[in-house]
Formats: sequence, C-alpha cells, structure tokens
Amino acid sequence: MTTAEAPAAIRLPADVQTTAPRGWKRYRARTFYAFVSPWLAGFILLTLFPLGYALWLSFTNFDGMTGHYRYVGLQNYADIFRDPDALHSLGRTALYTVITVPAAIIIGTALAVLVNRPVRGRAAFRAIFYLPAVVPIVASALCFKMLFDSDFGLLNHIFNQLHLQTIQWLADPLVFWVMIAMTLWGVGGTMIISLAGLQGIPGELIEAAKVDGANAWRAFTRISLPLLSPIILFEVITGVIASIQAFIPALLLSIQSGTVAATSVPQSNYLFMIHAYAQYFDYGRFGYASALLWALFILILVLTAVIFKVSGRAVFYESGPDEAAQAAAGHATGGKAER
Amino acid sequence: MSGRFSRRRLLAGAATAAGVAAVSSACGSGADSTTLTIMGNHPSEITDSDVAGFSKKYPNVKIKFVTNSVQLLTAMFAAGDPPDIIRDQGVQNTPYLVKRDLAEDLAPYFAKSTVLTDDKIAAVDDVWRYDGSVQGKGPRYGLAKDYSQDAMLWCNLRVFEKAKVEPPDPTTPMSYEEMLDVAKRITRRKGAQYSAYGLYPPFDVSLSAGVINMVTSAGGSVFNSDYTKVDFSAPEAKSALQWYLDYADAQVGPTVARPLAAGAAAAFFADQLGMVGYGYWFGGEVASNPQVQDHVRFVTAPQFGSTRTSPCFAAVGHWIPKTSKHKQEAWNFFEWYFGEQPAIDRAKSGWGLPGITAMNADLPETKPYQKQALDVQNAEFSHMSVLKYSPYVAFTALDASLSQAFVKGLESGLSAGKLADLVNDTLNPLLEQGKELVA
Repeated sequence: MTTAEAPAAIRLPADVQTTAPRGWKRYRARTFYAFVSPWLAGFILLTLFPLGYALWLSFTNFDGMTGHYRYVGLQNYADIFRDPDALHSLGRTALYTVITVPAAIIIGTALAVLVNRPVRGRAAFRAIFYLPAVVPIVASALCFKMLFDSDFGLLNHIFNQLHLQTIQWLADPLVFWVMIAMTLWGVGGTMIISLAGLQGIPGELIEAAKVDGANAWRAFTRISLPLLSPIILFEVITGVIASIQAFIPALLLSIQSGTVAATSVPQSNYLFMIHAYAQYFDYGRFGYASALLWALFILILVLTAVIFKVSGRAVFYESGPDEAAQAAAGHATGGKAER
Repeated sequence: MSGRFSRRRLLAGAATAAGVAAVSSACGSGADSTTLTIMGNHPSEITDSDVAGFSKKYPNVKIKFVTNSVQLLTAMFAAGDPPDIIRDQGVQNTPYLVKRDLAEDLAPYFAKSTVLTDDKIAAVDDVWRYDGSVQGKGPRYGLAKDYSQDAMLWCNLRVFEKAKVEPPDPTTPMSYEEMLDVAKRITRRKGAQYSAYGLYPPFDVSLSAGVINMVTSAGGSVFNSDYTKVDFSAPEAKSALQWYLDYADAQVGPTVARPLAAGAAAAFFADQLGMVGYGYWFGGEVASNPQVQDHVRFVTAPQFGSTRTSPCFAAVGHWIPKTSKHKQEAWNFFEWYFGEQPAIDRAKSGWGLPGITAMNADLPETKPYQKQALDVQNAEFSHMSVLKYSPYVAFTALDASLSQAFVKGLESGLSAGKLADLVNDTLNPLLEQGKELVA
C-alpha cells in the first residue's frame, strides 16, 4: 500500500472529538477518594484507632479513671494464662462455637434446600424461616425468657399441667442449651446465604446427573454441595468469628442487671467476651481487659488462617462454568461423564 | 431551566444549607448561653418539671442529659470532656472519687450558699464527705438526692396470712436466722416453680453493702485498718457468706445464681413475695400499686450480729467533676435540685427520705400504710450506721467479685471458706494496684 493509497485520517464527529471528561469524570481520582473517604475515616477512627489504643492500654495498668497508670510490659498477657476465669470462659466459648457453627450451617442449608424446591407457598416458607433472623435479639431474648422462666414460663406451665417436675431452665446447666437454641433461632440468615448459593447452581447440572442415574441425595452431595462449598466456607469463617465474639445472648439471658450483670452470668454461659466486659467495667481492669481482647483478636486471625489452610482441598472453587460443570458432573456420576 | 442536577448546583446548595444552619444555630444558642451536661436518670429522678423550673430560674443555661452509664463516663473522662454533674452512690464511691482527684471540693460553694447550709443538711449527707482517710469528715463532694436505711424489710401480709404465719414485729429486729426461718415457713413452691417466695434479702441495692453490713453487725470488718486489703476469711465475714449459702440452700428466694426474672417489686405486688429487703424508698413504689396498700408492713432491719445496725446502702446523689467546665452552673443546679422545689416534690412522693432535714415534714402520711412506714422509719433513725468502703477499689469490683464467687459457689457447692478465698484472691491484687494508682 502506497502513501497515496493510505486512507485519510479518520475524522471523528465534532461532539466526539471534544471528549475531554466532563462533570465528575474530570476528577476520577478525587471522586474516588471523596466517595471512599467516609468509609476510610470510619475505618481509621472506629477500627484502627481503637485497636491501637487498646493495644497500648494492654501494656498498662490503666483502671479507666486514674491518669496515673504505668507501662507494665507483657504482664497483662502473662496474667491471662494464670486467670482461671479467662481459661474457663475460653473453654465455654469454644464449646459454644463448636456446637453453633456446624448446627447453624447444617440447619440453614437444609432449610435452604427445602425452600428451594418448587413447593406451594414457597415464598411464605422462606419469609417464615427468615423472620426470626430480623427480629432484634433483645426481643428474641425476652421471648425466650418468657418461654423458659421457671415461675411464669410456658414450658413449666405445660410441665405442671402434665404433672411433671418443673425445671430451672435459666440456671446452670440448662441455660447453656437455651442460649444455643436462641442462637440457632436466627438460622434464617444462614439459610438465605445458602439459598442464594443453591440458586446459582445451574439446573441442567442436576438434570444431567439425574439422566446419568444419580438419585436426589447423590445429586445433592456430588453436585450441589461441592458447588456450595465456597459459600459454606464463608459461613464457617463468619460463623466462627461471630461465635467467638458472642456476648449479647449470654448477657440477655442473665436476669441480673446493674453492677453484677456480667459476673452473675451462669458459669456455663460465661463466654470470653463476658469475662472481658466484666474486667473492663466491673473490675476496672482496662489494661488487662484490653490484653484479653487483643489475645482474642490474634486467636481469630490464627483460626481464620487455619480454616483457610485446611479447607483448601475441600472447597470447590469454580474457575469457569465449563470446568465446574464438567467436574461436578463427573463427581455426580462417579466419573461416568468423563469416560 | 435545565432539569439536570449539576455538581456546581449541588455544592452551592450544600454550602447555603450549611451557612443557614450555622447562622440559625448561633442565633438560637445566644452568645452567653451554657449547656450543662448531666449524667443522671431523666425523667425518672430529674423530672421534666425540675428541668423546667431550673430553666425558668436560669434561662441562659440549657440542660443536656446523657445516659447514666459507667462505660460512657469512662469514655467522657478519657476524652477530657466529662459531664458537669454525675449521679453516683455516695456511700460506696466518695473515697474512691476523692482519692483519684476526680471530684470537685464543694466546701467553698457550701460556704457561700444560703439554700444548702450545714444546719439544713441531713446527717446521711456526710457519706459524701472525705478528708483523705476518713469518710464522714472533711469537705463535701456531693449530696444525696434522697436516701433510705436499705436493710429494712417490707412484708406482704397476704403471703403471711396464706401461710398462717405471724408477720414480724415492726420495731423489734429479727435475727438473720429467724428471718430465714420465717421465709421457709411462708414459701410455697412445687419443684422449681414458686407460687410465693419467702424472702428477697437486702442485697439488691448492692451485694457488697449487704455483706459489709452483716460483718459490721458481727463486730468485724472486711477491710484492714488502712483499707488496702480485704479478708473475707475472717470469722465474721465467713459467717455472713455462710448465711447466704444457707439461704440459697433453703430455696426460699432468688439468689445471684437463680434470680427473679420479673424483679422483686413485681412479685411483691402480685402477692408472690413475703419479705423484700428494701428501705423506705419502696413506699414510693407501693404508692403506685394501690392493690397492696392494705396489706403491707414496713419493719425494722434484721440484726446479724451483736450490734444493731441499719445503714444506708447508697445515698444516691450527684457530684461535680473537678474538670467540669461549668462548675458554677452545676452548683446552681445543685441548689435548685437538692434544696428547693424538686427536693420538696421528691419528699412528698415518698421515694426516699430527703437529704434536707426540714423536708422530713413533707413525707407522706395520709394513708395508713404511709403512716405505719413513717412511724417505723422515725424509730429506725436512731440505729443508723455507716458502711466503710476502700478508696482503692471501685465498689463495682466488690459487688462483682462477690456475685461471681456466689455463682460459682452455689453451682459447685463450694464452702464459705473457699468463697472467701476466691473473693480475697480477686480483690487483693486490685486493691494493691489501686493503691499504686492513687499514690
């Protein structure tokens, strides 16, 4: 092609030629920072600063009111291992986590499978199962107290009618199971997340598996469950973090108020955060309580890393729709699709 | 006109709105206006009428209330911006506040006041005095809005009638053992379900106050002479802890491990609680529950040891922080709230005894139960005693350590000696640290 044959320079229409960004677009970087700045400010002021402040306090003997506190080094951290209440509360928190997290995921996923089926009134069932999750926890706790109160509760009333021995539900050791029940009462949140995951699974995968001879259980365990595994991992991690930090259910189920609200929580519900709260506001040990919270923060980080590590082989990450479909179909039919 | 919402127009609008808001705020507040921040119970204790009266007298002072909470108070002190007036319990907290240099010495204000003069102030207000070593002496740091002798009892006579048990004599003290025995006889329960509790002992205002009162009556003290150590293993303290364990074992009333869900007042007014350990202030509650007024009786405090004691457990009132930015305005509110119409209104309501002696004449006595309560109260004044607290540890820590030890003890069947060890082990390091912090 000669120069003479070369096409003339492309001429753009007049309105396209003057395409210098207008309005907000002229300041993309500034606009970006303007929009993220509220979050950034919140993160710095409400997360980073308190974290740093608590870290500093954890190395002091500050009592919350006196300005004459001093640096005590790692003393507060060493005290955690000598504090039987801290270790007891950590044990109770671990038990609470080990029970509530798997139970919430199993029940939530089971409910999600149920309400994902084409049954009559499906929308109503979804709403009913999800409703407890949106009820404020204070209202839930009140209902549970009314249900389980030894004198005026519905349960003991029924026991009385049946001439059965009435029971102190809100005292040790049963109050722990009341707290578990109250926590699982809000399982609708997990259900909604699992339902969203289930609805993201292409229907043809299930159909293909059935054509290849898989029954419903096999299709669920070999197709739905592997494809849901990233969702389940998310639920495990957020569930573990929430359970380790659980505080409100135990406090609300405790009947005392005032200065002994935290320390009169029954021993089986004496969770780690209750202990930290009592150290802060009942005992005025701000330095030690901050060390407790920092220890918890580190524990959560380690646990999250461990969960990520051990879940690597169990979680099925969808690298692309075709690969996922092939892999899942292969699982469902015991490898028949690949043969 | 273009309907497009341009950035320029948005910014211009926002700037205008901000300007208008700033100008109107400045105009509204007035140049010499002051805002007094009160951490107190509004409107239950400082009523709207109290605030309106103060605003009428001091139109340039606005009042802002903040929630009465130790968490908030700590945060406000940490931020260097504490409230100007703070609600507190004078019995437990005066030495603690003064040793930490937190409370303003009000002696100069009292010296100039014509409303709150020494001759008008009740003896109980001395719990708000501290000279650095002895509570009850030295300058005043606060005042009680009202008070009661909190170890006294209110009896629901219907519960006694149903159990065919004679109610306690109003002015002769029962021993704690006798009180427990009466409670056993009037309690009605089936399994874990109670139709009538016998006793709600006088620990509700403060668990530590209840225990310290018992120990004092027995001639002991939980603190050593300079308040730097506790010893709950001493015989008097151990027997007080043992009484609580016996009471819990008798299952005649709620405990820290098995509390009463609806609270003592609800059970008492439903004729489901025979004796409740509350002071004169509970008459204010009775006034709001006419259904029980014909079958209540106010009786003297039970006696644990050889000495008859009937202390005030709290003397709830207010103090002014040293770092308050509006001390004069806060004092003006003090005079109004503690010495003028609000104090008269409180006395008339029967919600506690007034901190100003002359206002005892305003206490209600028109109804038979009010008259009975006032007669018993008048006889009880002579047995008034003062509890001792350490300046080195917050009373919340005492309450918390006792409640935690009781919860553990009642659930695990620990002995009183073991409970005492738990409390000592918790509190002594705190006292040691507290001493270092205020040194």
